[in-house]
Parts: sequence; C-alpha cells; structure tokens
Amino acid sequence: MGLVLAAGLMATVLAEPAGFSGWEMGLLGACVLASGGLFFWRLGPILRNVFRSKKDTDFSLHPLGKRVWDFFWEVLCQAKVIKQRPLPGVAHAFVFWGFLAFALVSLNHFMTGVRLGFLAPDGYVGRFYFIFAAVWALLVAVSIAGLFVRRFFVRPIWLGTKVSYESGFIAFLIFTLMVTYLAAFAVSDGGTAVKALWWTHTLALLIFLPLIPHTKHLHLVLSPLTVFLKRDGFSKIPPLSGDEDFGLVSGKDITQLISLQAYSCVECGRCTEHCPASTTGKVLNPKEIILGMRSYLNELGPASEVAMLAEARPETTFGTTMSMQAAFECTTCGSCEYQCPVGIQHLPIIIGLRRGATNTGAWEDTYGTKLFLALEKNGNALGLSAMERDKFVTKAGLPIFDGTQEYCLWLGCMGGYDPKGREIIADFARVMDYLGTTFGVLKKEKCTGDPARRLGNDLVFQTMAEFGLKQLETAKVQKIVAICPHCVRTISNDWREYGIAPEIEHHSEFMARHKDRLPKQVSAAGESIVYHDPCYLGRYRDVYEEPREIVSLAGTLVEAPRSHEKSFCCGAGGGLAFLGEESGERVSHVRAAELVGTGAQVVGTACPFCNTMFRDALSEMDVKPQLLDIAQLTARALPDRENNPVSPTIL
Amino acid sequence: MKILVAIKQVPERDAQIRVAADGKWIDEDDLSYTINEPDAYALEEALQLKEKNGGEVVVVCAGPERVTSTLREALAKGADRAIHIEADDLGERDTLGIAQMLADAMKGEAADLILTGLQSDDLGLGQTGVVLAELLGIPHATIIMQVEKTDSGLRVKRELEDGWFQHVEMPLPALLTIQSGGNKLRYATLMGIKKAKTKETATVTASAAGAKAVSLEKVYLPEKQKKTEMLTGTPAEIATQLVEKLKFEVRVL
Repeated sequence: MGLVLAAGLMATVLAEPAGFSGWEMGLLGACVLASGGLFFWRLGPILRNVFRSKKDTDFSLHPLGKRVWDFFWEVLCQAKVIKQRPLPGVAHAFVFWGFLAFALVSLNHFMTGVRLGFLAPDGYVGRFYFIFAAVWALLVAVSIAGLFVRRFFVRPIWLGTKVSYESGFIAFLIFTLMVTYLAAFAVSDGGTAVKALWWTHTLALLIFLPLIPHTKHLHLVLSPLTVFLKRDGFSKIPPLSGDEDFGLVSGKDITQLISLQAYSCVECGRCTEHCPASTTGKVLNPKEIILGMRSYLNELGPASEVAMLAEARPETTFGTTMSMQAAFECTTCGSCEYQCPVGIQHLPIIIGLRRGATNTGAWEDTYGTKLFLALEKNGNALGLSAMERDKFVTKAGLPIFDGTQEYCLWLGCMGGYDPKGREIIADFARVMDYLGTTFGVLKKEKCTGDPARRLGNDLVFQTMAEFGLKQLETAKVQKIVAICPHCVRTISNDWREYGIAPEIEHHSEFMARHKDRLPKQVSAAGESIVYHDPCYLGRYRDVYEEPREIVSLAGTLVEAPRSHEKSFCCGAGGGLAFLGEESGERVSHVRAAELVGTGAQVVGTACPFCNTMFRDALSEMDVKPQLLDIAQLTARALPDRENNPVSPTIL
Repeated sequence: MKILVAIKQVPERDAQIRVAADGKWIDEDDLSYTINEPDAYALEEALQLKEKNGGEVVVVCAGPERVTSTLREALAKGADRAIHIEADDLGERDTLGIAQMLADAMKGEAADLILTGLQSDDLGLGQTGVVLAELLGIPHATIIMQVEKTDSGLRVKRELEDGWFQHVEMPLPALLTIQSGGNKLRYATLMGIKKAKTKETATVTASAAGAKAVSLEKVYLPEKQKKTEMLTGTPAEIATQLVEKLKFEVRVL
C-alpha cells in the first residue's frame, strides 16, 4: 500500500507555467519591488526604534553554546510551543516547518517567472523535493485551517476578546499558497490553468510580505533573533548603569533587548493564561505590559521622557495597560517568562518598571513604605527588633557559626522571626543533628533584600546584600543551607551584583542528598501528601525532584493539577506578602483550594512564605489538611530528641 | 518658607547598650546609630510643608563625624542643605548648652519655621526645642500633630492628654516640637541618595561656651527587679489578699 502510494506520488509531477513574456516579467518585477518596498518601509521604523534604544551594557553573547541550543530547541524544534499547548503547538510547528521546507520552492517559484527556475520538476532532485514540499503543504493547509477554526470559532479567552481580522486574512493567504501549490500537481504543464495558479500563488506571497511588520506576524522575522539573544538566566535583573539609571522610568530607559522583545510578542497569551494576577481578577496582564511597551515605542519612541507608569492616560494606548497598580500586582512567580515561546523576559521588564517607580520615590504605598522602613531600620522584613532573633537563637539552642562547622544555616526573616518559620528551622536543625552535619547560624543576619529587590528598591537591596556578604566573609563561611527559596535565589544570584557569596543550597537539596540515611516514616505510611512547588525553587532554580524524594519518604506523593514548572503561585512572591489586601480573588485561596481538591491529607511545602500563605488560606476552609514543610515531614520520623542515637557519622 | 529642622542621632532602638570600661559613658564601638524618631517626623513635616508651600529645608545636627550619615540620609529624603555642628562632647553639655549650639548655628539663617522632635529617644528630656525657641526669641508650640500654613502664620494641632487636642493659631517665625506618628514617613530612594551627593553640608565648630557644664559621675544600666509571690487559699481569700497588697504595698488602688 505504502509502495503504491509512493509510486503514485513519484508519478505526479509539478506543472510549471511556460512562456513568460517581457511585460509579464516586468509586472512581476514591479510587484516584487512594491511588496518588498512596502515591507521595508513598514519594518524600518521598528528596526530604528530597536537600534535607537539604550544599549544593554551587561549584554554578552556568552554562553554561546546555550544560545545555539535554545535556538535549536525552541525555534527549530518548536519545543516550547508544543510542550505548553500540545495540539495548537503541533499545528504551529507544522506551519513553521512547512515554511522552512517551502523556502526553496518559493525561491524557485519566482525564478521560474524570470525563466531562471533551478529545480526541474521532472529531474531527480526536483521531483523528490517538490513531493517533499507537497507533503508539508498538505500539513500546513490542514494546520492553518485548524488554527483558523481555533481562533475564530473556539476562541480561547487568552487570545483576547478582539477578533483580529488580519490574522484571519493571513491564514487565508497561507491556505491559498498551499492550495495553489498542491493544485499545480493536478494540471498540465504550460496551460492557462497553471499560469493562473502561478500568479495567484505569487500574489498571495507578495500580499503577505508587507502585512508582516505591523501585525503579530512580525514574530516570523524577529522571534528567532529574540530567542537567540535573550538574557542568560531566568528573571535576570540587569545592574543599573550610571548615575542617571533608576530602572524603567521613561522611553530613554528602554534597552535594545526590551525593545526587540516588545516587538516580538505574538500575542498568544500564554503569559496571561498562567499569570496568578490575571487569573484572579487583578489589573495586571503581562501580555498587555509587553504590548504597552510596544505601543509606547510606537507612539513616543525610545528617546521619550514621558513616564511609562501612568495612571489612566486616555490619550495614549499604553496608559491603560501599563499602570502603577498593574506593575505592583506581580508576584514575580515567573510563569509568564517561563511560558513565553518567543523569548520575551517579562520579569526584568516588570521589575524594571517597579525600579523606575521605587528608586525615584514615585511609588507611594503605605505597606511598601512600611516594609522599606522596616528593612532600613530593623534589617528584617517583619519589622521586629533584631533582638528577637537573638532570643530565638538562644532559646532554640542553635550554635553560632564560628568557622569550625561545615554549614552556615541561614535563618532568613521567616526562620528567624516567624513562629512557623522557626518551627521549620528547629526541625531542620534536628535533621542536620541526626545526620551528624555540623552547622552554625550567623551572629548577625539581616534580610537578603529579596522583597526590596523584587519591589524595585535598589538602595535597600544593595544595603542588605553588602551587609550579608560582609557577615559571611567575616565569619569565613564556606557553605550555606537555607529553608527559604527566596533567600537561596537572592544570595546565589542577585547578590552577584555586589560580590560572590559562598555556595548555597536549599534544604530540599541537602536532605535529598542524604536521603539514604534519613528514616522512612513507618507510622504515617500511606499518608497522602500533596507537594506544592514554590516558584523560587522550581522555575527559578529548576529543583523539582529533590523535595519530592523527601515527600516520598514521608508518605504517598500526590500531584496537584498544576505542578512542576506549571505550578501556581501562593501569592507571596515579589514582596507581595508584605503589601496590602489584593483586589479580586486571593491567589493563596485559589491555590489552597486546588491543593485541598486533591484530597491529600497533608499539604507539603518547601518555602516558609508558601507555608504562611496557605496557613492563612486553609484557616478559612472546611477541609483542613495538615500543613507541613518538608523539613517537618522528615523530622516527624526522627527518634525523640531524648533518645536520639549518636549520629552514624560520629560512630 | 525656609524651614530648619534640628535632628539628633541616637543609637538604634534595638541596640544592646553596654557601659564603657571607664563607667562614664556607653561603649560606642559596635553600636549603630540612626535618626531620632520624633526628629524623623519633624523632617517629614518639613518636607511636606515645602512640597505644599515651596521654600527650603535645612537640617542641622550636632555631634561627631558619624552624624554626617544621618545628615546625608535627611538630604536623600529631600532636605536641601545640611549644617553639621562638630562636637564630640555632647555628654558633657546640658540642654541649655546644646540649645545654645543650635541657636548659634541657626541665627544667621533667618528661618521662618524651626522644627524638631518633641524629645530624643536616648535621653528623653524634651527640653531642647523649647529652650532653643527661648534663645532665639521666637514663639513655640509643643507636641504637634499637624501643621497648616495660613495667610497670617500657622495653625497647628497639639496633642493633649486623654485624647484631647488643642488647635493653636500662631505667627511666624516660630518653633514647633513634633510628635511621632502625625505623618507617614517616606522611604529613602536611590535617586535621593544620588542627589544628596551634590547637596551642600556646611560644617561649623561648636563654641566652647556651655562645654563641661555637666560632669558625668557614673553611667549605669537600670537595675532590674522582679519579685514573684504566690498567693494561696480559696479564690475569695486570694482576692482579699491581692486587694490588700495592691492598696497598701504597691499603692495603686
């Protein structure tokens, strides 16, 4: 059967028009010039805006290998497009691969028009390639029709409420291109029919070209470049450059990368679909932030000094999409940046807008101010006296790090001041004791500056980072372990702007490494535990399996509907734990309900902030599963402290 | 309106104060300092008055070199100029001496309004502002919660006891001592810190007059006394005993 089909295919030959007259060639030339001219005329201002944007001073092509790999995987293999939305993703991939296969066909098509065709339809290579392209043409035609149906009839809300007729027209053009190509196999060489098909195909292509620059189809041209050039590192916040840089205040602060990314947006809405703010009724819509940036560039240009975060400015289109309120509703969970298939990095942009507002004092928020003053004055985000930490350290019997111990146990604000955070620290200290790992806590420790960093306060962040680096250096710390993913991320990554901190890991990583020596729970065997991936451990640090290994020791692991890299935020990140009441639904309640919905007996967390958010959310629910950190889950199985046997390593 | 704000640098609230080896002062080594809290509110009031009515805010602070960090912070929050009165013998000057130093530094400025915190977090005497007004020969009002500029001068809200307030109209120039909590403090910004670098800080030397007015005998931490006594018996007996003790021993009833 297959052989017959193959033989049949090999027998079909693409018909080619013949006898192009001089005036026909002239007409073709004029059409190509008009189409190309229009294309560049429209693309010009966009490229000019990108090139005239501020240089990214920290940009470097290093690591090149990773860039090449990302390009191969995300662009050529369409991995992200497919992975996050399998069905439309595959359809998109077919259209993309079809376009690649068609590049040679299209070139030959135009060359035929000037009697310079280089692929002979009856030649060995030509016959093979035309049939190869025909298979793709079929796939593209079916896929684009499917995508058309999705956009105009299924209409997922993430694509926006406005129907884009241009998209429909472009889908029609692509469909026409494929059909006219395939039809050329069914007509005879040299006739009027083939000539008509040839011209229809040509015109469809030439009409398509100038439509690219001002529609979302600009991503055809820009996104491969955007993916290749994106900043290395997740949520990488660039250092401020010079005395006049306070973040994204106005157009003159927009960098070339941001510009390029803004113009690459394909408006697919994956960012919005996964955004904890958008999906709980907040003003923030990450897609609109990016499109707002694009509108700003189009309307005011990259040299403008008009403030970007403006409350309701009807005369500009960006005024409604980029607002102070929207920028400060972001939990920095990173779903948007993780999901984006065209390489847009939302976090440096949203945090950039916050920096512009906070570093200049334009952001006035009672809770935000209270938090910054607490960090300035008390050195912790909870605003408690530093003496409270000392009291806890003494009471819990935590040793002070003196250089002889292996690990410095970083308490963090939650571990040092919050009652539940302290329980987690105490339990983790028991686990370390059991394993015979020596550790100590710093005599003086302040916040890592995480909430200040994410809320755009570079002054407080710098003060905190420099203090922390100095403490660690003075105490000669070699290795740090922390219970808070926010501390881990900030120390290992964000502090680099001011110095290199010693190696740090999250307690899940530490415990997973020693899991063979940790006791398995016997009494609680079979207890179902749903694990919640903290954003700053999962998407930020790529740690998914280690905490699960620990959970599996303690009971039966249950997965939430949204888990791993699709995990839904608890609502605390980005400094939001310290800000006032949210508008719309509470993110923490939505997530807690999802976790409770799994029917698990225990909610397992790996971040003290998630823990505190869920504690609050669960208190208002009818079903109340236990809420425990992975350190607490492990500590439950340890023998009582009184008869704690001497650690195996000491024996 | 030209507003002068007298501020003081004090040890951080949660600092663990230790008495120095000679027993005559506190051990300043390991201590971190900050702006006196009521003074922070005085500065905030000054900045808000300037934002509403225009003018200039000048901060004045007496103390050793370390106080310049507090002055810089005030400049970062929006003050226009700073005056540093160099003196490292504050402990040996009484309120009159300190007010005299401030008055000397302020005389040439011809300010419309002088603000200061109602008292300091460390000594808590609450006198400096009042004595300063007297030395400068201008009217003053204390424990101020709100300040409003009127055509003829000021209208201020004073805090009295038991939840009462007093509204006072007064002419300018004047001196006000500001209560904490009347306004919301602002946070220091990166832009403010960068701008502060270009602002002027004048340094003046403290006059010898008023020096050594105080001779310190001894500095010591308050002795903590805690006495616990268990009362036994029936609830009625315990209650009787308790009332008796509160009446005759503790004398609070």
